[in-house]
Amino acid sequence: MKLNIEGLLVYFPYDYIYPEQYSYMLELKRTLDAKGHGVLEMPSGTGKTISLLSLIVAYQRVSSAFPLDVTKLIYCSRTVPEIEKVVEELRKLMEFYAKETGERNNFLALALSSRKNLCIHPEVSSLRFGKEVDGKCHSLTASYIRAQRHVNPNQPVCRFYEEFDAVGRQVPLPAGIYNLDDLKDFGRRKGWCPYYLARYAILHANIVVYSYHYLLDPKIADLVSKELAKKSVVVFDEAHNIDNVCIDSMSVNITRRTLDRCQNNVDTLQNTIQKIKETDAAKLREEYRRLVEGLKEANVARETDIYLSNPVLPDEILKEAVPGTIRTAEHFVGFLRRFLEYLKSRLRVHHVVQESAPQFLKDIFDKVCIDRKPLRFCAERLQSLLRTLEIADIADFSAVTLISNFATLVSTYSQGFTIIIEPFEDRTPTIANPVLHFSCMDPSIAIKPVFQRFQSVIITSGTLSPLDIYPRILDFRPVTMASFTMTLNTFNVCLCLVALSSKFETREDFAVIRNYGNLLLEMSAVVPDGIVAFFTSYVYMENIVASWYEQGILENIQRNKLIFIETQDAAETSMALEKYQEACENGRGAILLSVARGKVSEGIDFVHHFGRAVIMFGVPYVYTQSRILKARLEYLRDQFQIRENDFLTFDAMRHAAQCVGRAIRGKTDYGLMIFADKRYARADKRGKLPRWIQEHINDGSLNLTVDETVQLSKHFLRQMAQPFRQEDQLGLSLLTLEQLESEEMLQKITQIAHQT
Amino acid sequence: QNMYSGHCELQSFAPLTESSISQSTMASLSEEVLLVVKKVRQRKQDGTLYLMAERVAWGPEGKDRFTVSHLYADIRCQKISPDGKAKIQLQLVLHTGESTTFHFANESSALKDRDATKELLQQLLPKFKKKANKELEEKNRMLQEDPVLFQLYKDLVVSQVISAEEFWANRLGGINNTDPAVVNNKQEVGISGAFLADIRPQTDGCNGLRYNLTADIIESIFRTYPAVKQKYSENVPHNLTEKEFWTRFFQSHYFHRDRINTGTQDIFSECAKQDEKGLKSLVIQGVKNPLVDLLSLEDKTLDEGYGICTTLPSTSNANKTVKESSNSAIIKRFNHHSAMVLAAGSRKGVFTSLLTASSSETSSTDGNSRDSDFFQPPVKKVKLQEAIEYEDLQRENRPKTVALNLKKSDRYAHGPVPLQSQHYTTSQDIINSVNYIRHEMMNYKPNLTEVLSSTAASSAIAALSPGGVLMQAGAQQAINQMVPTEVQGELKHLYVAAGELLRHFWSCFPVNTPFLEEKVMKMKSNLERFQVTKLCPFQEKIQRQYLSTNLTGHLEEMLQTAYSKFHIWQTRRMMRKT
Repeated sequence: MKLNIEGLLVYFPYDYIYPEQYSYMLELKRTLDAKGHGVLEMPSGTGKTISLLSLIVAYQRVSSAFPLDVTKLIYCSRTVPEIEKVVEELRKLMEFYAKETGERNNFLALALSSRKNLCIHPEVSSLRFGKEVDGKCHSLTASYIRAQRHVNPNQPVCRFYEEFDAVGRQVPLPAGIYNLDDLKDFGRRKGWCPYYLARYAILHANIVVYSYHYLLDPKIADLVSKELAKKSVVVFDEAHNIDNVCIDSMSVNITRRTLDRCQNNVDTLQNTIQKIKETDAAKLREEYRRLVEGLKEANVARETDIYLSNPVLPDEILKEAVPGTIRTAEHFVGFLRRFLEYLKSRLRVHHVVQESAPQFLKDIFDKVCIDRKPLRFCAERLQSLLRTLEIADIADFSAVTLISNFATLVSTYSQGFTIIIEPFEDRTPTIANPVLHFSCMDPSIAIKPVFQRFQSVIITSGTLSPLDIYPRILDFRPVTMASFTMTLNTFNVCLCLVALSSKFETREDFAVIRNYGNLLLEMSAVVPDGIVAFFTSYVYMENIVASWYEQGILENIQRNKLIFIETQDAAETSMALEKYQEACENGRGAILLSVARGKVSEGIDFVHHFGRAVIMFGVPYVYTQSRILKARLEYLRDQFQIRENDFLTFDAMRHAAQCVGRAIRGKTDYGLMIFADKRYARADKRGKLPRWIQEHINDGSLNLTVDETVQLSKHFLRQMAQPFRQEDQLGLSLLTLEQLESEEMLQKITQIAHQT
Repeated sequence: QNMYSGHCELQSFAPLTESSISQSTMASLSEEVLLVVKKVRQRKQDGTLYLMAERVAWGPEGKDRFTVSHLYADIRCQKISPDGKAKIQLQLVLHTGESTTFHFANESSALKDRDATKELLQQLLPKFKKKANKELEEKNRMLQEDPVLFQLYKDLVVSQVISAEEFWANRLGGINNTDPAVVNNKQEVGISGAFLADIRPQTDGCNGLRYNLTADIIESIFRTYPAVKQKYSENVPHNLTEKEFWTRFFQSHYFHRDRINTGTQDIFSECAKQDEKGLKSLVIQGVKNPLVDLLSLEDKTLDEGYGICTTLPSTSNANKTVKESSNSAIIKRFNHHSAMVLAAGSRKGVFTSLLTASSSETSSTDGNSRDSDFFQPPVKKVKLQEAIEYEDLQRENRPKTVALNLKKSDRYAHGPVPLQSQHYTTSQDIINSVNYIRHEMMNYKPNLTEVLSSTAASSAIAALSPGGVLMQAGAQQAINQMVPTEVQGELKHLYVAAGELLRHFWSCFPVNTPFLEEKVMKMKSNLERFQVTKLCPFQEKIQRQYLSTNLTGHLEEMLQTAYSKFHIWQTRRMMRKT
């Protein structure tokens, strides 16, 4: 259908539309009009992605008439399947455009992913880990490797990259929609490297879909996204965890193993320097000369040479020459050695140390006379050295890269970071396992350049409640903040708050565990097909499973359904997941025991019969004894005036909402959501759940016993098993164009958006 | 009600087969004797017990014929006298409910003899049991599904015109051979996920545990854990008795997975290793559905060391407590168990679906799809499309279509290619002939001189109309009005039965083996019996009702033809003999 959204013609590739989609587009358009940032929450399964794409594509098409309004959409999502889904939805939209307008539009949209997902080189792509693929790729495509080939024709290079380098840049990628597989197909056909093709093509593409890291992690963003146009709209989808991604991209952990490997790296560097000095001293002199002239000139590196860019944000990078103390190769290696020795000495502690970056810098100056300035150049200097030495397998040097990145980070930022040195793990105080955490506490640091640089940034997800907390922790001023709820004719969600306790103090209690087990057992007899149960932590789940096993509860559950359990091994869990789906598919029914904050809870959907019930055992608070968390809470309190408890509850609730939201992925889907903990009934917890969950909480579903829950569920499931008919939804939660345009409906729609 | 009686007959038909085994024939045929036990008493008579390839037999001492003979297939189960009883006995219970008891009377080795017999029977019986049950079920199913066959069965077998065996002889075989799909299509029954839970150990009062195993549970264990089955066939009965085997099984850590301490002398430790290996290979194979592949979920290539470390999972086993590792062993075990149960339930299904999937994929990628990468997209595409589908946003009026699944797309594209060159009419030919016909039509001139006169034409029409002179032969049509429906039904049954018998009869020709000779004689007598017991009463009945007697004329004719054929054959045979 064709929609008129406040004067903008929007093509929407479906016959009907949900009212909340219309409302969402309305808010989005207002945000884009204002050239500001927005926070939009809409439950999953209400077609958030297609609404976003429809509106922004329409906006872009109009912009081409008024030049330089919105030239590009940068769509960031979290997982590879999510990225691919977005591109497929976009393809659908573009097919609709082509059908309706009858003209082939010259739109270019593509997905970008890591080499592991795009490489077509037969040997390289067969490697299992992303790190290996990157390293191998580098060893075939680095400029000095390719230069060596002129001398020695036997030097292996990547023919796909060679071909791309020779001709790929002259002809732009033809207009169209390219998913990862399409890029690979195209690459195969042309004999071009799809990865570098994609990286090159994003510069002139209308829509780019990639993962958060390409924009938020300065080490990667500088390489990939540096030249993207400022007149872009950036969308962060599934953004409920965006603060953690920001923090992750600036934090570093150093263990004793890292230091040992680093020691080896430094030794190798030393030997290589020695060798080169004997054979090709001119090379080192040349590097020195360029460094004297300033880093700008040293940066003749090609795209293939840099593995990770500078770990600090671009505006913090010093635009001056490398200081003399680390300019020669030997001096720099010596410098690294001293720094390494210092770190080793710091790890030999017997008690926990926490200090700020300035304290650390002062200490390092006092002890080993290392200045702040050379530290700041450490990362850049190492990159230059690795290039000069023509190191083929750069992945081997990850340890020394990590250390130098740490050096640069710690000397650049005096605020928002903390250093914690722990001599052992809390749970095993007898085993020495010292770790130095350099952890970022302020997510706004990493995302700040994004807000500054791009004209509109949209943060959206199914669970962003309470909405006002994101602008506070990410430190930006949105022009729109809205929460949309799912309109439904009948309730397809049955929410039960079971009055069981799992407070930290009582949760190891025998009776609590047995009550949980009984709940699961009873539900397994009532609910058809799949049930997913989430626990608050992995260790807790292990203990519960063990005691359920001893009490014979699991055996009884097995009479009703098969049991699959998430493990800490991702491959094993993937297999369990697939088997779980198989068991749901063939009618046997299964239960998946999983962990909140785990990989399953973050990335796997349980649509329809794959998840007819979700049970959340307990409140998924983060492990509060962690020192890093404590430091962060302190920082939040001091800097943003967010109380510790508020943040912890907010964090727990967003994860709980994520977990239970896994089962409802659309209006035709239905399922039970069971919160098995009486604390959920309290106002401070309930209030932090997303609106689309809160709506389902009524007095009848509060403080239930296990028996009452079973009764409610039975009734609900029987009702839900009736056929879902489109006619019943039409006019209420599903609108035709005529219905949408009626005055009364437009009135109603304006109320859907819940402004804050 | 009819169905029910049919079922009953089937039950009773089992002893029929048994009694039909004449002892003389069995004794003359040489059979493989698996076990001979002397000094076994039956009905207070001393004798010898023989276990043979297909039956168990017993003959009294001093005579060379068996007075007791049971096919394994007829035996429902065996029972043994409890240990410690004075009399050491073994009882065979038949499907019919009858039972035969053997008393092992050899003083020195009675117990050993009995156990040897028991063990051997234990291995033999299940093999035949399945076959017998399956056959019985199959027959039952066929009778229930096919009322005509059921009637035939009643007419021929119940009234003892032919024996049940003869009736089924070529029916079952035919079904099995011509239509294996029907037989194989049976859905296999899966395994309960909780079968191990059903083995509730009971304390036997003196510090021991007692597990009750049934054949079903053992079967479940074997199907779920092929490794255990292998161990069983390797060790039982040569190294261990069955009891010992299962005792060790329940004592092993393999059964109690939470016990970490692996005794290396444990015969099941190898099973555990094998399972582990299987699990690992499954894990390495990876998952087919990319949406559940957690390994490739994240698009992040950063090394370890970056990011907030979220309570580093202690990967090294060294700093894991015993309890933790036992907990994770339990979790592993549950995943493995569920996977195995699932696999056991759908082993066949998975296999075939895999085959079809791969074959369809190879055809879809033009054959050049050796690269494993090529196999992924189709599954992935489908899953992605599924994931972005909003069925309720689309108008429903589109008819549901079934996707065309082409196994060999080239055949679809080219169509059937004639083996020999045939003459086809080309389109040009067709156009030409149409033109020719049109031309003929245009030039058609009625030849009025040779047309019938109007009176002759109308009388011809009258003669050909219903009731006219020439339509008199159509009176036969009225048979369904002349004969009451009940008689018609009876006649139909007679036809079907006669047809069946005649089919058997004619199938004997040419008579070139002694077996066929015998059969043809029997069939002849069957036909005669049919005529006497079925046809003649019917004829009398219709005579009594004053219906035209030629109703059965054709039947008689068919029988006569058969008789005369038989006579010709017999006289020829006599001549040859003399």
